[in-house]
Amino acid sequence: MARKRTHEIRDPIHVFIRLDSDERKVLDSLPFQRLRHIHQLALTYLVYPGATHKRFEHSLGVMELASRIYDVVTEPENIYQESESVRNMIPKHRAFEHLKWRRTLRLAALCHDLGHLPFSHASEALLPQCWDHERMTMEIILSEQMAGIWEDIGVQPKDVAKLAIGPKKSKSYMGVELDSWESILSEIITGDVFGADRMDYLLRDSYHAGVAYGKFDHYRLIDTMRILPKQEMDGSQEPVLGVEEGGLESAEALLLARYFMFSQIYFHPVRLIYDEHLSDFLKSWFDGGMFPTDWEEHLKHTDNEVISEMLSIAKNQSHPAHLHADRIVHRRHFKSIYRPTAEDRKLSVLKPGRKIYEAASREFGEKNVKHVQANQENDENNFPVLVQGRRIAEAASEKETFSRVPPASCDHVFVSSEIRNRAGDWLRKNREKILSSAEGG
Amino acid sequence: MERFERAAVLLSLIERLRDGHSWCGETHVQKSTYFLQDLWSVPLKLDFILYKHGPFSFDLSDEISWMRANDVLKLQPQQRPYGPKLVPAENAEVLKKAYPEPIQKYAKEVRASADKFADMGVTALERYATAHYVSRNHAEVGDGDLAAKIVELKPHISYVQAQEAVEFVSRLRSVLSES
Repeated sequence: MARKRTHEIRDPIHVFIRLDSDERKVLDSLPFQRLRHIHQLALTYLVYPGATHKRFEHSLGVMELASRIYDVVTEPENIYQESESVRNMIPKHRAFEHLKWRRTLRLAALCHDLGHLPFSHASEALLPQCWDHERMTMEIILSEQMAGIWEDIGVQPKDVAKLAIGPKKSKSYMGVELDSWESILSEIITGDVFGADRMDYLLRDSYHAGVAYGKFDHYRLIDTMRILPKQEMDGSQEPVLGVEEGGLESAEALLLARYFMFSQIYFHPVRLIYDEHLSDFLKSWFDGGMFPTDWEEHLKHTDNEVISEMLSIAKNQSHPAHLHADRIVHRRHFKSIYRPTAEDRKLSVLKPGRKIYEAASREFGEKNVKHVQANQENDENNFPVLVQGRRIAEAASEKETFSRVPPASCDHVFVSSEIRNRAGDWLRKNREKILSSAEGG
Repeated sequence: MERFERAAVLLSLIERLRDGHSWCGETHVQKSTYFLQDLWSVPLKLDFILYKHGPFSFDLSDEISWMRANDVLKLQPQQRPYGPKLVPAENAEVLKKAYPEPIQKYAKEVRASADKFADMGVTALERYATAHYVSRNHAEVGDGDLAAKIVELKPHISYVQAQEAVEFVSRLRSVLSES
């Protein structure tokens, strides 16, 4: 009996994810298997109990979606023939270059999260300056650990790394600029509008959190994706990812899904404060308060070691990290006492949370108060749309939603649960004075 | 330059571009800001890489998101087939009143950059910004054929267009170094 070359993995979002024996070598590698133990959404499962999914299955999902997108946008009948720059960019269907880039894209998608620290983004502040998970991803892809696999399966690790970390980080960490084709491939994985990473995390996070906000018709969206020139105003011919007009509603649903997922899940105040407590715990627990950047050391750390240690330290009152562990394990997290209104922003010259935080820190001590402010980044919502098979329009001129939906944002001041009532009374009395003062009261 | 000061300077650039009848889409703002930082030396501390339509800053894109999230800017939809414009929003005046110093300090540079590029379309901005970027970041080309390098990096730009762009930015740099 012939040896099996294609392997199937069951997945709750994409049903089956298929990969070949070469890709399976990457899947079976230590760096990839480690992702089985990195939660996709850190401690969000303490708020949404179902959200216990890991980077492992997300990475498989991104590979699956990235190759679906690649197959659609390089299919000969889907290539926009009116543009020479588009025609010349896409390799001949099924030719060596076409298959080579398909394989590289799939592997880059599979590996794009290898560098995540325990609990994903929540612990990223523990890396030294100029380091982030993308740089760690690059280090691992280019490491000795992976070199044998790349050689064995005949793939250039630098190509995998640059597509996995995207144009900005490739320039910063590898000193390379992506050409137009590589930019498109990278956009298929990490793109701000339709990246496979974004599509998978919205669908998967939504499914596991048990909410409907992140759902959209990704089948329809992917089927209508095309490489198109972004012909704004006077007709630049630079190719980017866009859609046929039939996919506009699905793209609109994706934009709204992202806005709602940020508002309801990613910026949920209890999730935000658990991230803060986790970061404090890790800083107290780790030697020097920093994560190692050596890839071999990095691979030794997963959520499992952190949780195990956290449970133990929560019982040990003499440990320096005890208080932070206790807040997480026994749910004694800080409570939100303030989030600004639109009027507060004007009154405080756009720094309402900061002002309340500074005044509360003076009143109750810095260790009893925390401030978290963030907004949705990478918020590009405009892309070319192919209308009636020939004309290129802008999504934002076809549908106002693409201009009207603002980036989601959050601004919370938290206090320790022990002083919550006192802080609430104090804030009611002083709120207006603090917000209208020059330096926070 | 801290975030609020930078936002105030970016807002003043957008207002000046609008005064000069720029379309003021995100690409116009990206390229004008690139020139403001790199040619007029305003220290905005934004990283630019060669990407969409030439030099592009993900940092600037995030700054614009932040300004939109805080109602300093908004996207104004336009009638087909035109793309949205970036326009000052409800809190723009609040920011300007709170941060007059950086606006005044860099007013001359903002005026010069905006006046030079306000009436240009995306294609011209893309060519000129790419030509400037390549001349600054590809030292290996030296005095060689910059236009050929531009075509190599951005094949949708023709050699003749690239040559014209190289001459344009070279003239612009000469004028600035003399003034």
